[in-house]
Amino acid sequence: MTSDPKAARLQKVFPVDLDKFLPDIIKRNYGKWVDRKFHGAGIIEHISETGERVFTVKVAMPPNARLSADTLEKFADIADRLGIGALRATMAGNLEFLTDSLEKALKIKEEVESMGFPVGGWGPAMWGINSCTAFLTCTTSVVDSPSITKALGDVLKPYFTGEEKLPAKLRIYVSGCPAMCAGGTAIDIAIVGQWGAPPIIREEALSYCLPPPKALEKIAESQVFLVQICPTGALSLRREGGRVKLTLIPEKCINCARCKENCDAFDYDPENVGVAILVGGKMSNTGRGPRLGRVLIPWLPAIPPRYEEIVAVVKRVIDVWREHAQPGERLAEFIDRIGWQRFVGLVGLEKVHAVYQRIPDHVRTFMYFRQRYEAWRRLREGI
Amino acid sequence: MAAPPGLPPPEELLKRADEMLRELEKGPWPSHVSELRKTRYPLHVYGVGLVARKSPWGPGTVRVKYVNTGVLSRWARDWVPNGGEETHFRVFHTPGKFWKTDFIRQIAKISKELGVGLIEIVGQTGAFVINLTKDKAEEMVDALREIGTDVGGSGDAIRALNACVGPALCEFALFDTLRWYAEFYKDKRINDAIATPGFPYKFKIKISGCPMDCARANRADVGFIGVWEGAPEVDQELLRKKIEAGEVDPKELAARCPSGAISWDGKELRIDGEKCKKSMECIRRAFPAIKPGKKIKIAVVVGGGVKGRFGPKLGNFIGYLGPNDTQKAIDLVFKAIEPWNNEAMPKCRLGDYIMIAGIENFLKKADIKLEGMPEMAKTGDEVPYAVLSKEEREEYLNLVKELKGRA
Repeated sequence: MTSDPKAARLQKVFPVDLDKFLPDIIKRNYGKWVDRKFHGAGIIEHISETGERVFTVKVAMPPNARLSADTLEKFADIADRLGIGALRATMAGNLEFLTDSLEKALKIKEEVESMGFPVGGWGPAMWGINSCTAFLTCTTSVVDSPSITKALGDVLKPYFTGEEKLPAKLRIYVSGCPAMCAGGTAIDIAIVGQWGAPPIIREEALSYCLPPPKALEKIAESQVFLVQICPTGALSLRREGGRVKLTLIPEKCINCARCKENCDAFDYDPENVGVAILVGGKMSNTGRGPRLGRVLIPWLPAIPPRYEEIVAVVKRVIDVWREHAQPGERLAEFIDRIGWQRFVGLVGLEKVHAVYQRIPDHVRTFMYFRQRYEAWRRLREGI
Repeated sequence: MAAPPGLPPPEELLKRADEMLRELEKGPWPSHVSELRKTRYPLHVYGVGLVARKSPWGPGTVRVKYVNTGVLSRWARDWVPNGGEETHFRVFHTPGKFWKTDFIRQIAKISKELGVGLIEIVGQTGAFVINLTKDKAEEMVDALREIGTDVGGSGDAIRALNACVGPALCEFALFDTLRWYAEFYKDKRINDAIATPGFPYKFKIKISGCPMDCARANRADVGFIGVWEGAPEVDQELLRKKIEAGEVDPKELAARCPSGAISWDGKELRIDGEKCKKSMECIRRAFPAIKPGKKIKIAVVVGGGVKGRFGPKLGNFIGYLGPNDTQKAIDLVFKAIEPWNNEAMPKCRLGDYIMIAGIENFLKKADIKLEGMPEMAKTGDEVPYAVLSKEEREEYLNLVKELKGRA
């Protein structure tokens, strides 16, 4: 044990005191909500059995939910003046203002909109765009998701505010690399940064990711961390006299980026980099249940600041969905109903649907494990 | 990472970075660049990254005494003119992510005085992020602890927990997700696994109050999702009123039910509990005339995740707990962690380990037994060879003996 008073930091201070952190009106009505009503885009009313009501105003945040302390304080002022003195962050990266009357909710809407923050979401609308941090802080991202999000948001805003109608809920995740930190692929439209070509190994930086030379001498090549993390066996370590050489077999590489996530010595040429666009995923058990999205386009260039290629594809997918879907049909259910081939054809992309069929033989072990995972029951089948 | 080929000279690079940033401030959607301008974040580094089409950040280090997770630091790459640094804390969110205004002002004050005035209000783990400068890190940890939250959740540790808003502001919440959230955090083992990394990879726990899964429990290493037994409850009287008022179309309810459990005979709406797959489709269209059933169960899913050896995965359903079984749930988490922690290769998520070990082996090794556990895989194996124990072979022999007896 240590006498350092800072060792107390090993016991975390978790914000778990509901009494302290929940607003009074929420505490009074905890577990007593009995009904809900929608009041146009972005305003929902929760009705308690006590007769009390809470109106929530959903406000879009800048990409990656980045706010300055100044703006946050201005929001706090609005929440004190027109709300119940509280805000709520959502997993969609939106900020919700809470108040107790529709009149005040509409005033909040007016004020935040005049600050440049649109109000919307809920019902058949775009509920928001999630973005990872990418070039704002991340060392491994290959495209900048916040600026892609900005470019998409500028074009898709009418779907958020309800000015333009959608068949059902739409959410978009934009991730800067295959780590998919914006939330993965279980969403209507997922945009994921891609390497495009196998990584380039920077020999000079490799030693930072390997054990010290003396320790390395005693470890079998296959047991070295950098070799182990590759899921397809594309990386191997070879000893040449006293030196070691990390070799990458490009034909075995599936560009999963796990080597890059774990070592800074893997590099790329920006010309090869792009994004994959996946569609038809969702997390909710509604419709036909949770599923991962599928690759619609495996590679598109990501050219800042307007990313016209990405925006065009997303717009096209939304247009096809709007034109052909039944009311209330989320993108996943719509694609299920009409079939993948027909959907791909409607988007106008017949030629690129077969990317998985071109997976090299070397990757069969990887695919074997993936298939094996399909043998067990998921939530929908289990419950 | 090396400088990309053809990068312009420093002055030209900064000029083009500035043009790029200005472009990102135009347009109707809120701009992150406009917000960053109001802070002391080194915006030129971001701009240079956009021009180079390469992340401008390289790994850095910062040491904060006895804070082993939740602290991340970066240095600008050597090809970024004028350099720059970025350090941030991952901070635990409040229950339900409610921010009372006094708490917001405390956070804003800490951010301005000890940080750079920049906050990411929510990340996909469910935590929020505060940017700071390295020299203020020690002070900021204490300031955050002072106001009732803390820094943590990165690296190969249990990450910040996530729970949906639950009964605090949702009619559909089937159990008290925020109480579960609190009970988990109060457990000493959870605390220690958050404070000190030591697992093969990250580990996430998420808690959703209903099958709509707003907390994304289905992509957690261990997720808890509220469900009910049998059919939803139908208040025929109220439903009739809603139908008469034109709010609900019973034919649409029947058509939209993905499991075909709903029938409508022109007078009464019936739901077959055997068929019901808890899709919430009827409930969200006709609430509160149709409500979830009264017998609540917590579905447990394991092995989901986005990032891992074998790519993105949804969880495997392994059975039910009761709505008050928080201690059993915490025990289950550590039972699941044990074989994974002992056997998995580095950087394998629980789901990756389950793929390699096979789920039935995993459940056996973890000694997990739950009510409603699925008894068999949904389809037979396509590979006709396997290693079977003597006991297993005998089981098949006994099975065939029974069949022989029937003939």
